[in-house]
Amino acid sequence: MSVFHRAWAIVWKDLLIEARTKQSFNAMVFFAALVLFIFSFALGPDTELLQRVAGGLLWVGIAFTGLLSLSRTYQNEETSGGLEGLRAYPGDPRAIYLGKLLGNIVMLLLVEAVLFPAAGILFQANLWPYAGGLIAVAVLGTIGFSLVGTFYSALTVNLRAREVMLPLLLFPALVPVLLGAVNATTLILQGNLMGEAVMWLRVLGAFDIIFFVICIWIFPIALEE
Amino acid sequence: MEPGTTLCLVGPNGAGKTTLLKLVATLLRPSSGDGHVMGHSLKRDPDAVRMLTGLLTVRGFLYDDLSAAENLHFTMRMAGLKPDRGVIAGVLERIGLDEVADNRMRTFSTGMRKRLALGQLLVRPIQVALLDEPYSGLDSQGMRLVDEVVSEFKEVGTTVLLASHQDGAAVREAEKTGILRRGHLEILPESEPLSRHLSVGGPAGAPEMD
Repeated sequence: MSVFHRAWAIVWKDLLIEARTKQSFNAMVFFAALVLFIFSFALGPDTELLQRVAGGLLWVGIAFTGLLSLSRTYQNEETSGGLEGLRAYPGDPRAIYLGKLLGNIVMLLLVEAVLFPAAGILFQANLWPYAGGLIAVAVLGTIGFSLVGTFYSALTVNLRAREVMLPLLLFPALVPVLLGAVNATTLILQGNLMGEAVMWLRVLGAFDIIFFVICIWIFPIALEE
Repeated sequence: MEPGTTLCLVGPNGAGKTTLLKLVATLLRPSSGDGHVMGHSLKRDPDAVRMLTGLLTVRGFLYDDLSAAENLHFTMRMAGLKPDRGVIAGVLERIGLDEVADNRMRTFSTGMRKRLALGQLLVRPIQVALLDEPYSGLDSQGMRLVDEVVSEFKEVGTTVLLASHQDGAAVREAEKTGILRRGHLEILPESEPLSRHLSVGGPAGAPEMD
């Protein structure tokens, strides 16, 4: 059976467990909503200012919320003997990375499906005309975030101070993704759908490809060590 | 080891019994030297070794929020097999969990978890069974189940490597017994009584299943 079949088995298992426990989704939505609410409250009723910084605020919310999801990526495995349980099966270990990656992407996109409309309401911005561009940046940004995050959460899963180590390692590596995502979102919200926004979307896409190649290449080595 | 034979590993806590089993299962990489399973190197061809081996750990590789049937379904998929409801139902019946097949594993007792972990070895074909403390947490019926499964493994030519502190038929009937001391494996002569190296009583002292 191929890497993709085994990856899909991991996605099926993780999403089934999440659908039953709703541990990650509830915590992520609540946390993201709280971050956005605090920002909108702190910045006051200045609609113009809110709309100008909305892209940055959105991605601050997504980054912190995503961190919650990433730290739980391998938590399900703890009751089953940690990553050893998955490593004991035959087949390419990249299936573990792909399965966990897809699970993280699905979870973050589900949260963003709630987060973006909520941001539109809180920041008094009509997002509907920019839906296409925002979906593109959300998908590309989420893929980039999850690619790096899933890799680092596997590296830190057995560390005692993993809650501290994961953000310390992750955020510097995420700078290109967050930079591209914030710039693209801000430009799209300012109505720049064809100019610089497209350039940032291309940059995001390029980062995704680069990170995918690097992470999928070195994951088996990282897992062995 | 000859195919279809059993090697029972005994030794004090920390002697390296679990480490040895994990090395054979390729979950740990040898820091020096190498080993071979059916001609496949632990270092150079770990994937082929994983295809041939099945490891039963003390906790088992199981998920609390999946049912017994779903756990076996996942095992089959991860082992590269097409999940077969008939096979899963047969194994659940064999390990005595058919009536709780759809119950989430978090509701299971330690013994039931152990049975399900044993079931994970039965849903896929393996050539080498690695059993780490297979009797722990089991009642007398569960211990008999382990003995029967080991017996069946031997009948079909599956080699068994078993680490146990507890006495049981599988331990007593092992073709070879090895004692691990500070990382060195020494095969015990047949004349040496095994009971000296076992810390817990056998099935007679175990509680009956409710």
